[in-house]
Parts: sequence; C-alpha cells; structure tokens
Amino acid sequence: MIKERFLWRPPLAENWADRLAAVEALLSSGQEPDYIALKTLANQRLGMREHLRMERLAQKVKKQALMPQGFAPITLGLLGSRTLSFLRGPLAAAGLARGLDISALEAPYDSVASYAYSPVDCFGQPLDALLVIIDETAISGQRVILDHEAEKAALAEAAELVMALAAAAREKSGCRAIFATLPGSDQISSSDLATPGSMARFRQRFNLLLADGAQEGKWLLWDQAALADRVGLDAWLDPVRYHAAKTPFSVDACPLAADNIAALLAAMKGKAARGLVLDLDNTLWGGVIGDDGLAGIRLGQNSPEGEAFVAFQNFVLSLRNRGVVLAVCSKNADDIAREPFRAHSEMVIKENHIAVFQANWSDKATNIKTIAETLSLGLESLAFVDDNSAERERVRQELPLVSTIEVGDDPSFFIQRISHSGLFDHLPLNQEDIARAESYGGRAAAAEIRARIGNYENYLTSLSMRMSIAPFNGAGRSRITQLINKSNQFNLTTRRYEEEEVREFEENPEVIGWQVGLEDKFARHGMIGVVIVRKEDTAWTIDSWLQSCRVLERGVEQCVMNALFESAAAAGIEQIRSTYIPTDRNAMVADFYPRLGFPAGDDQTDGSVHYSCAVADYVPHRTFIEIYQAG
Amino acid sequence: MSDYQAILDQVAEIIRDIFDEYEGPVTMETTANDVAQWDSLSHVRLMVMIEMELGVHFSTSEMQSFKNLGDLVRASAKQKA
Repeated sequence: MIKERFLWRPPLAENWADRLAAVEALLSSGQEPDYIALKTLANQRLGMREHLRMERLAQKVKKQALMPQGFAPITLGLLGSRTLSFLRGPLAAAGLARGLDISALEAPYDSVASYAYSPVDCFGQPLDALLVIIDETAISGQRVILDHEAEKAALAEAAELVMALAAAAREKSGCRAIFATLPGSDQISSSDLATPGSMARFRQRFNLLLADGAQEGKWLLWDQAALADRVGLDAWLDPVRYHAAKTPFSVDACPLAADNIAALLAAMKGKAARGLVLDLDNTLWGGVIGDDGLAGIRLGQNSPEGEAFVAFQNFVLSLRNRGVVLAVCSKNADDIAREPFRAHSEMVIKENHIAVFQANWSDKATNIKTIAETLSLGLESLAFVDDNSAERERVRQELPLVSTIEVGDDPSFFIQRISHSGLFDHLPLNQEDIARAESYGGRAAAAEIRARIGNYENYLTSLSMRMSIAPFNGAGRSRITQLINKSNQFNLTTRRYEEEEVREFEENPEVIGWQVGLEDKFARHGMIGVVIVRKEDTAWTIDSWLQSCRVLERGVEQCVMNALFESAAAAGIEQIRSTYIPTDRNAMVADFYPRLGFPAGDDQTDGSVHYSCAVADYVPHRTFIEIYQAG
Repeated sequence: MSDYQAILDQVAEIIRDIFDEYEGPVTMETTANDVAQWDSLSHVRLMVMIEMELGVHFSTSEMQSFKNLGDLVRASAKQKA
C-alpha cells in the first residue's frame, strides 16, 4: 500500500465534499464551473475515495463539454504491454490539479508491436503525446546467464522497438513519444548487476538508452523507476494484481503515478512553475533576523537545524541553475533582510541570485503580485514557500493561482516536499533554459528602474527618514574612526585617520567634522556618514566625504550637501572646494560632485579631480529627509 | 452473523461510492451481474478499496473463488478474526 498521500498539497478542506457538490450542482444545471474552483478542488490531499469522486467529476465535466477555459487540453495516448486502463480516470483528475484537461486514450491490450511495426493506427486520431509503458518481460525474454552476446542482442532489439515506436508516434499520431523507464524488480543476488543476462542489468542499460535518446531530443522520458524508488518497490508492485488484472504497478499507486505524469505534461505545455518565491525567517535560516541578528540566526555551523537550512539553500540554488527564477517575499525591513545575504558566511544564496527582493511590511499576497508583475510572469507560474502555515493559508486564499507548497515547518522536509510536488518538472534542458534565470534577473532590474523613476519620490517620502548631523564628539569617536578606515566604495578621498587624529579634529577650530545619522520608519541605521572640512578665510575645502553603503539612493548626500552650503553661506564663505581621488574601489562616486551640482572639475596629472563651487551659485537639492539635529 | 453484517455495511458503502448509479440492494447474495457499472476494471478498484478500508488482503486464488459478496465478506471476517 502507498503511504504517501500528496503531502505537498494543502490538507483536505473540511468543506471539500460541499464544494464538490456545489460544482456538481452547477454541472447538472448545464453551467460551466469556475477554473479556480475546479483546480483547487482537485489540488488537495485527497484520499482514495475523494480521488474516486474527483475522477467522476472530471468525467462529467468532459462529457458535458463544460471544461472551463484555462485548462490546457491534451490528448494522451496510452500504449503498454499490460493494461493501463487504471490510469485513465486518475490522469483526468490529476490534470485538473495542474491546469490540464487530459483525455487519455488507451490502445487495445498488448498492441505495442502492432503500433510500432504494422500500418494500423489503433488510435485513429492525432495525439499530443504518446505515453509508452513497456513491461520488461515484454522486451527481455529469458536469456542464458553470462551470455554477453544474448544480452547485447536483446538490447539491440529493444532499441529498435523504441526507435520504431518513436517514429510511429511521429508518423501516425503526429506527436512525440514519452517512454517510461523500467522500475526495479526483486533481485536474486547483490551481484545481479554484475551478471550479464540478469534482468537488473538489462533494465539499467535499457533505461540509460532511453535517457540518452531523450537527451538527444528523440523522445521524452517519464521516470517511472524514480517514482517507484520513492514509493518503495514493495508498495509499487502488486504481484496479485499483476497477474489477476495485468496491471504494471499497484492500482492504489495510480493517483500518484497519474500526478507524476501530469507534472511532465504540464512541463510540456508550459504550465510548470518558473519562479520560486521564498520567505526568509525560518525558511532560508532558523530564527528571525530582525530579532536574533546576524549572530543569532541558525544557519550551518554544525547545528542540525542550521545544516538543514544550508541543504535547502543548496537545493534552491540547484533549481536556479535549471532556470528557475528566485524571488524573496518577507515581512522585514529591507536592509535587515538583506544582511545575511551580504554578511553571513554560511549563506549559499546571494543577493545576485534573487531577481526580485520584496522585504517590507505589506501583506505577502500584494508582494507576490508585485513580483509577478516585475518578472512579467503569470501568477500561475509562481510557487511560494513559507514555513508559516498561516501565511500559506492566506496566500492560498488571496492568490489561489500561485502554487503554495505545503512544506511544513521542519526545514529537513522542504526539499522533499518541493521536489515531490513536481512543480518544477522540466523537459531535457538546453543552454537557453539555464540562462533564463539570469535574463529574468536583468529584466527585473530594468523593471525596478522603470518603477523607480515613477515612484522613487513617493518611496522616499514613505520612508519618513530623519537625519541627525552632529559635530565630532567623544561618543561618536570610535564609530567615526571605524567608518574613516573601513569605507572604500563611497569614499571620495579615502584618507585614513587614527582615533587620536579624530580626537584632535574635535578640538581644532579650523576643521568641521560632521557625523551623520539616519533613521526611517523601519530601522535606526545609526551613523552612516562622515564629512571633514578644512576652513580658510574665504573658502572651505572638503577633506573627506564618505558614507556607508547600507543606505544608498536615499538622498542622504544631497541633504548633507545642502546643510554644508547653508553653513558656508552663514559664515560668509565664497567657495567650497573638493577633490575626488580615484582608487580601485571607489568608482561609484567618480561623478559625485558634478551630480551634486559642482561645475566640471580640473583633472590632475595624478588622476584626481579638483572641484570648486561658488556658494552663491549653489542650488539646493530637493530632499526627503527631515533634519532634526543640525550641527 | 453480526460480524458479517458490520463488514457488509462497510463494503456496501464502498460499493455505493464506486457504482454511483446503482440503487438496488447490497446483500450477501449480490454479484457483479446485478450491477450494471460493475465491469472488470471497476472490479479491481473495488477489491483494492475493500482491502484498504478493511485492512485485509486477498490471495490470487481467493479472488478467483468469490461467487458473490457473501464469499468476500466471509473471507474478510476470517482474516479479521
């Protein structure tokens, strides 16, 4: 008996039977049911009886020609050396759960050879795909053990049959063939694989032959063997029914097998998931980054839970390597949510792997919609993973088209649930598929820029930023020194000063030292900027200007520059001079002064650029930050 | 007999599920011939579901020997005893 019952699907709703009855009532009155209603009805953790009812419902919808628009129609031929009748009903039901309208046609019993070699077409109509499930007894008769030649001959014969079937599918049914791999069977010895003429050895070689052909694009593969492994061979095979009803595998495995096949058909029809939306706290790492901090979250470090999260991240990255686009949807402050990506040594997933990063306090459904729009993907192309069952339920309610996977709350099971879901099933990959995740990243970045031009000011306003500008003092001294000596990128002159020198600036009347702090409605960012200015009678010279990269593009520099020119004007100063000294790290501020309103500078022979701006000419920048403590 | 009745009730429920168009009685004497929908395909499903719900398992020869529901119920009762 199969133990697993679609664990990745949501649990059976309490009112499932009522909802089924509602759809049936609709059908009885000749009305078309709703796409989402039908799909969500099928996409639940159904028991054997619910499966039976679902199959019957699918049958009724088809019979009355009331299949809602949205279900992709697919006519599947079934060809096998044993009876495949038990797959037909389950295939129709499994299709509904994946947005497919599967009509399965079964060839007459044991017509594999006639379909392959005779001119007769037992289907008599075009197909979208032909699923061939050959039983190994049909292609591999009894052979003498240790007879290499006989094994070779049997394999060549099987290869010929496969090739003939693929050609017949093309010519008679106008479609591609899908070949099922051979599942295992009971072995006599551990040495079966090393024994020419054994079934085990033949099976392995035959499966590889199928795989190679699929890789070359000659046909597709349904890895029946992998599913049988997952379920367990003892549950997969039913010797009584094998003989009594000629079934290739256990009848109670049919819903699962049908779903597995439907996943492949969905991939064929472009209905597989293309994007994976991830929660962060307790999904990518253990704990809550906002509360526990970088040092407090559990990730790697030999803790069982931490290692499970690392394994999950590796799995997610392997999905991306197959062309799945990654997005983040987390209830967090953006900077804090990004911190582990930037600074945690055990993070496998990096910021540049994430095409869209939505960390804010809005509800997840809204954010997932934004992600879909940014990526130009339909909601049905997205899968959502969150450890929190309440969040999952809410997203299912709000966005029933998104595939919210029932991953549970134990990270050790995340990989299993996602891979069993078959949502990311795909055909044999090519280089283009692999490049897809990258190109989505680029498209998303462009979309973000477009959105920014329109909404950037609104965004800045919504942050409710407050800035403090204070002169150097004892309280800030060590952080000031740290910033001066650690900042490389947003640093105009990269001049380093020791703590003692910073202390001297505090007391020197010829020097202005400003420490800049910032907070917004999400977080206190602390000290994020340092400016050092040397005074002369009629001109001030900016000795150092550096900022933390944590808060870029917020209008911080515009705000501080306004304050500096205000102070200069108040002191009767005529000119402000400045310098950009290029290093191999600070290219991001190469055009800093022109951007801030300084006239074009003078290039020096050492590569640096000198600027000067008349105080009277300076036009203050529009800012979105309230200054609450001016120096 | 009451043992048999309890099992028959369970079987009847499954039969109503699978053969949803059948409205006749379900008794120890009921056979496949009495139910229009009862073909070889649904017969196998019926057996599988009865095995699952009752927690029994029929051998290859047992299944061949069932003449009516009574045989099936008695075989189940024997396993459950």
